[in-house]
Amino acid sequence: MGVVLGTFSMHTKQVNYRTDKVDDELEMTMVSHRPEGLEQLEAQTNFTKQELQVLYRGFKNECPSGVVNEETFKHIYAQFFPHGDASTYAHYLFNAFDTGNNGSIKFEDFVMGLSTLLRGTVRDKLEWTFHLYDINRDGFINREEMTEIVRAIYDMMGKYTYPALKGDVAKQHVDTFFEKMDKNKDGVVTLEEFVIACQEDENMMRSMQLFENVM
Amino acid sequence: MAAGVAAWLPFARAAAIGWMPVASTPMPPPPREKRRGQDGLIILNVSGSRFQTWRNTLERYPDTLLGSTERDFFFHEESNEYFFDRDPDIFRHILNFYRTGKLHYPRHECISAYDEELAFFGIIPEIIGDCCYEEYKDRRRENTERIQDDEENENSKDMVPPDMSFRETMWRAFENPHTSTMALVFYYVTGFFIAVSVMANVVETVPCRSEQNRAKEVSCGERYSVAFFCLDTACVMIFTVEYLLRLIAAPSRYKFVKSVMSIIDVVAIMPYYIGLVMSDNEDVSGAFVTLRVFRVFRIFKFSRHSAGLRILGYTLKSCASELGFLLFSLTMAIIIFATVMFYAEKGSTSSKFTSIPAAFWYTIVTMTTLGYGDMVPKTIMGKIFGSICSLSGVLVIALPVPVIVSNFSRIYHQSQRAEKRRAQKASKQAGQALVCKTNPTFETQHHHLLHCLEKTTNHEFVDEQTYETSCMEVSLAKASMSRSSSMSSSPHGLSSCCTRRNKRKSFNVPNSNMVAGRRGSIQELSTIQIRERPVNNSRSSLNAKFEETVPLNSEEQSYITAAVISMPTPPVTTPESGALGNCPDFLQSNIVRVSAL
Repeated sequence: MGVVLGTFSMHTKQVNYRTDKVDDELEMTMVSHRPEGLEQLEAQTNFTKQELQVLYRGFKNECPSGVVNEETFKHIYAQFFPHGDASTYAHYLFNAFDTGNNGSIKFEDFVMGLSTLLRGTVRDKLEWTFHLYDINRDGFINREEMTEIVRAIYDMMGKYTYPALKGDVAKQHVDTFFEKMDKNKDGVVTLEEFVIACQEDENMMRSMQLFENVM
Repeated sequence: MAAGVAAWLPFARAAAIGWMPVASTPMPPPPREKRRGQDGLIILNVSGSRFQTWRNTLERYPDTLLGSTERDFFFHEESNEYFFDRDPDIFRHILNFYRTGKLHYPRHECISAYDEELAFFGIIPEIIGDCCYEEYKDRRRENTERIQDDEENENSKDMVPPDMSFRETMWRAFENPHTSTMALVFYYVTGFFIAVSVMANVVETVPCRSEQNRAKEVSCGERYSVAFFCLDTACVMIFTVEYLLRLIAAPSRYKFVKSVMSIIDVVAIMPYYIGLVMSDNEDVSGAFVTLRVFRVFRIFKFSRHSAGLRILGYTLKSCASELGFLLFSLTMAIIIFATVMFYAEKGSTSSKFTSIPAAFWYTIVTMTTLGYGDMVPKTIMGKIFGSICSLSGVLVIALPVPVIVSNFSRIYHQSQRAEKRRAQKASKQAGQALVCKTNPTFETQHHHLLHCLEKTTNHEFVDEQTYETSCMEVSLAKASMSRSSSMSSSPHGLSSCCTRRNKRKSFNVPNSNMVAGRRGSIQELSTIQIRERPVNNSRSSLNAKFEETVPLNSEEQSYITAAVISMPTPPVTTPESGALGNCPDFLQSNIVRVSAL
């Protein structure tokens, strides 16, 4: 009888379930970020108040926490290109927008980037594009970086294209690009070479103005 | 595509500037945007509750009442608002649909009221989100079933179509005994005779004291054999008449003969007739006795009278696999333990465990904790294994049975749900494809963006079939070249072009030897792009709107991506109409198959 009671009491000591671990994890996901005031943003960018409002509403709708991380960014961007794989290009875009290099895009970064793209001067746009291509931020675009970018763009096309994609299509594009841009033929393109070469190209200048009234 | 993502289209278009330096050809001009009125607030007054939202929010779904010009009919001049005389509580959910793109079904609302509101505001219920869709469908099904049952009851009681033939009347009387008094009488009479017959079969075997007071006891059946025989004859008469009447009245005789109930009827009355035919032959009297066992099947005739019995039968049938598994695991355990017990008891003298099959009986009796005691182990090893057997018997039998019972109930409900979901999925996709018409301005801008990408890369989006035809052409051309010249160039071209052909598509190629040995891969996203010459004769109204907002594109080819437009694109003839003769069917079938965006 005593043995039975003893074994019972021994058992009850160890019943100590930890249920509080779950709550810790919940709190971590509730990070949210609020942007700076509307006037400040209006001063820093070239958007009007109404445009900023519309932008923020769309931004907040997809990212209620106030920041976009790379996964969400890729997901959103991929929805516009259902045919192929937009994740590589989205990755480079993300890095281009994430000027602070902290792995997430806040609304300010987003709006600054858009302001450059839509309302900036031609030089601003070209600089932005140069920074997009310059993956390792060393100030030069070399062949490998360009090939990466072009391949990422072709990935967005997907499989079913006409004419069908051949293996070396990216290389041809890169060669054309370097022929046009690399003036001193040193194998890399600097910012100045890029800007000058682009400004000489009529088509490109016209294309850059294409998206002026996107907002 | 989610409504919110549409707000990010300007960003995607702006980011397209990154393609410009890479492109070698000029970009297509952008679509001219209709200068709409400034995005203002709209006030919706629903029976006194004021809701406000942006005009753009409502216009995300131009196919509904609030998103189209139909709402102008409800505009109230004096208060400068739109007034709807409807339920404000349900309207809240409808407005949330515009805001979030997901339609929810509130559980506390009545399903018919909800349906009415949805119908009024022009929203198809198929777009209810996954979180609420099952609940909605369940409630709706219950409701329709209840309505149907009510209607049936009413119909069967009152409405007797006057021109029903005698045969149909009879069938109706058999199936629904409540229709007429005669049917009710018949129903009770047959029930009574089934009971009498079963009782007679049972009492027949009870031993009665014989009248001569002899020591030998005979069963009542032998003592009152004439009486029992008359009773049996009467019952079988009734059953036979009933069966024949049902056979005559059945609308589909073949189906009736195949049905379970009729087989039970036949099995119930056959032994009597066989007995009548063969009563003189002594050899088959043994078989005749066996046949009398089948008379007990008459008890199953009660299942016509009892719905519960039918449900039980159906339940067992649907749980057959679980029961089979239980049986299988039991058999395994029995064989194992019987073998062990046999070899353990082999040594002892006068052991009852004469063979392994003989040990089966011991194992079963022990594992089910019956323990008759007619076979017991005598050796120590036998006793040890016997006790292990009985302990494990408790586990093997007692544990899985409740698990199986709960398993069965879970699986039963789950299979119902899985079948429901499967059935719902097809209609849901079809409904979504029809209903999620997005903003046409959004569509034109998105097309322009995709067009820019095409120009950048100098390649065009095509659908799978065109891709494969072009692949085949390329490969054919290269093969014909290679036949005349060396094979050096062709393998590379063939391999890059057609290595990723979809294996599922059956493709009629005259030179089938060329496509042998290709790797196939399954394409996840299947989309179509239709190249469309600006021909005006086959356009829907939405496409007409598309044309008027994009006048500049009328010279060039305009591209419609069916993956993005989740609306039924009218089948248009493509330029390669020769190769894609079946294109319209392909399109139509692919609309539903489109990747859900």
